[in-house]
Amino acid sequence: MSLTKWTVGLMAGMSMLTLAAQANAGEVRVTVAEYSAKTGPYFENVKKDFEAANPGITVKFEIVPWDVLLQKLTTDITAGTNADLSIIGTRWLIDFVQQDVAEPLDSYITPDFKGRFIDTFLSPSIMEGKTYGLPIAASARALYYNKELFEKAGIAQPPATWTELQEDARKIKALGSGTFGFGLQGKEIETDVYYYYAMWSQGTEILNKDGTSGLSTPGALEAAKLYKSMIDEGLTEPGVTSNNREDVQNLFKQGKVGMMITAPFLSNQIKDEAPNLKYGVAAIPAGPTGARGTYGVTDSIIMFKNSKNKDEAWKLLDFLFTTEQRAKFTQGEGFLPVNKEEAKMDYYVNNADLAAFTALLPDARFAPVIPGWEEIAQITSDAMQKIYLGSAEPEAALKEAADKANAVLKK
Amino acid sequence: MQNRFLPYLLTLPSLFLAAVVIFWPVWDLIQISTHDVSRFGQLRDFSGLTNFWALTADPDFTAALWRTGVWTVLVVGGALLLSIPVAIILNTDFYGRGIARVIIMLPWAVSLTMTAVVWRWALNGESGMLNSALIGLGLIEQNIQWLASAETAFPMQVLIGILVTVPFTTTIFLGGLSSIPDDLYEAAALEGATPLQQFREITFPLLKPFINIAIVLNTIYVFNSFPIIWVMTQGGPANSTDILVTHLYKLAFRIGKLGEASAVSLVMFAILLVFTMIYVRLAMREHRA
Repeated sequence: MSLTKWTVGLMAGMSMLTLAAQANAGEVRVTVAEYSAKTGPYFENVKKDFEAANPGITVKFEIVPWDVLLQKLTTDITAGTNADLSIIGTRWLIDFVQQDVAEPLDSYITPDFKGRFIDTFLSPSIMEGKTYGLPIAASARALYYNKELFEKAGIAQPPATWTELQEDARKIKALGSGTFGFGLQGKEIETDVYYYYAMWSQGTEILNKDGTSGLSTPGALEAAKLYKSMIDEGLTEPGVTSNNREDVQNLFKQGKVGMMITAPFLSNQIKDEAPNLKYGVAAIPAGPTGARGTYGVTDSIIMFKNSKNKDEAWKLLDFLFTTEQRAKFTQGEGFLPVNKEEAKMDYYVNNADLAAFTALLPDARFAPVIPGWEEIAQITSDAMQKIYLGSAEPEAALKEAADKANAVLKK
Repeated sequence: MQNRFLPYLLTLPSLFLAAVVIFWPVWDLIQISTHDVSRFGQLRDFSGLTNFWALTADPDFTAALWRTGVWTVLVVGGALLLSIPVAIILNTDFYGRGIARVIIMLPWAVSLTMTAVVWRWALNGESGMLNSALIGLGLIEQNIQWLASAETAFPMQVLIGILVTVPFTTTIFLGGLSSIPDDLYEAAALEGATPLQQFREITFPLLKPFINIAIVLNTIYVFNSFPIIWVMTQGGPANSTDILVTHLYKLAFRIGKLGEASAVSLVMFAILLVFTMIYVRLAMREHRA
């Protein structure tokens, strides 16, 4: 008797499992990266508003920390349990396209819809003439400087070149009392990017024109030597390789660092956490020839090829990219507007910080669209850490990294 | 007649469970590691041992392999050396023993990841607690950048590894100590044995099976332990604190080489299997003799 009960219960449980595994008609599942504490509440509101406007469609957001997003997507896709839509780093998009898991959106995109976007931000999501993603978040990098420290050190304006930046860093260091001139990031995500700022100002690109790694060029060596000499001279914070982006940002918020290069969201953090900090935002310093470069980043929201509810998913995308929704999201997270109408709003036009970022956009480089990009980024970060630590000479470390990167590029 | 099959019948459920949770994933790993595999785990052509050869050619892998050995020996060894006296003290009757036991066990109750996060903050070069404490005590004059290089980061990680391994090890030893009858000590004391002699002649030999268990279990846990190193340094700077698990994680989820990552995973599985078999054999033989 009890055995049959068990069997029945087990069967019922299993059938419920299979039911749950199948997507319900009209349900759109979305994997979302958690950018800040505001991400969750924002998407909760989206769910409420969208479901009210579209009866019959339910939305399920799965909010995942950035660090584990790629891991979750990899395992989900391998198991075939991925959501209908997902936010991804646009630099990963080529892998998704090559593995044929991303759905081209062109059949849904009307000229009017396309017209909503600023081209600079939409173009990285276009591959082989097809639009595979929509830029949900856009960002660039600029130089933050501490006005109070600058004033104390007798510096009138932010540095225009790296030579000036070194001078300014020396003056700030001379103030003593635990202040550091230039905040240099040497750990975790974007350690390589922090090096590219100096490299781009030498006129060197990540990839040479012939498609090989730029790391073995004289410009790349100059840039590495510049950072290394600043570390040796004590112009940076100590223990560079123990500080990730957040660590350096924290030092900046505490007023301990004179200058650092980072994304617009630092302004929002300062507003919340260090409202009394006097800071300015300026262009990334230029090199001897006047060349300069900032890092442009977009995250795309993509539709999966195996989605069963593509039309419903598209409706949600259409809703997410209305000016009103965009403004709420972008302003909450401290990103740059990707939507033309949105960019005209007073919030952006009258914002000096953001103006500095948008002014840099013509100099923006996006991560190159090549398979194996993450591996090359890792190789570059490792080489930088060796140079910063002094465990390898810049020439040797860069040569080794260039060889490794070229091997990846050849595949 | 029926009795002969009964043992097999009785072990069948656990064998089935083991098959589901162990053999099936291992089979999957073998599949992935011997094929050319896409970023998202789709198998393509059979590639034989290519992924394994790729590992042997990778200096980061060999370095991580050695470091895993050092890490395991130091953490397991350190935890054993520390746990035996701790267990002996906690086994004696003293005022406040309950509280002392709770304090020793506490690190066990906190998740490993949280412990690692707290230590990462504590070891921060500019605003970390450890540096302020050391400066406050006058032991150092300048901040030490603990996590900036492997020379300071790895020893700290080993120390933290020992700290979080002690509670479990102590628990095993406390169980072992309580199984030693008191009259043995009374008899030894009557014969004039010193505490050191009592330890060497009574406690240690009788504790041996428990030490063996602690060595085997801890080796398996520590060898596979991910959070401490990942949270504090992500195996960096420049892979200089990587152990096999963190190396594997980067291969699989950063770079997307699922084939090589599966190969690392199988190598780890093989090492642990061989270690356990050899060790259990040795321990058993000693036991019989």
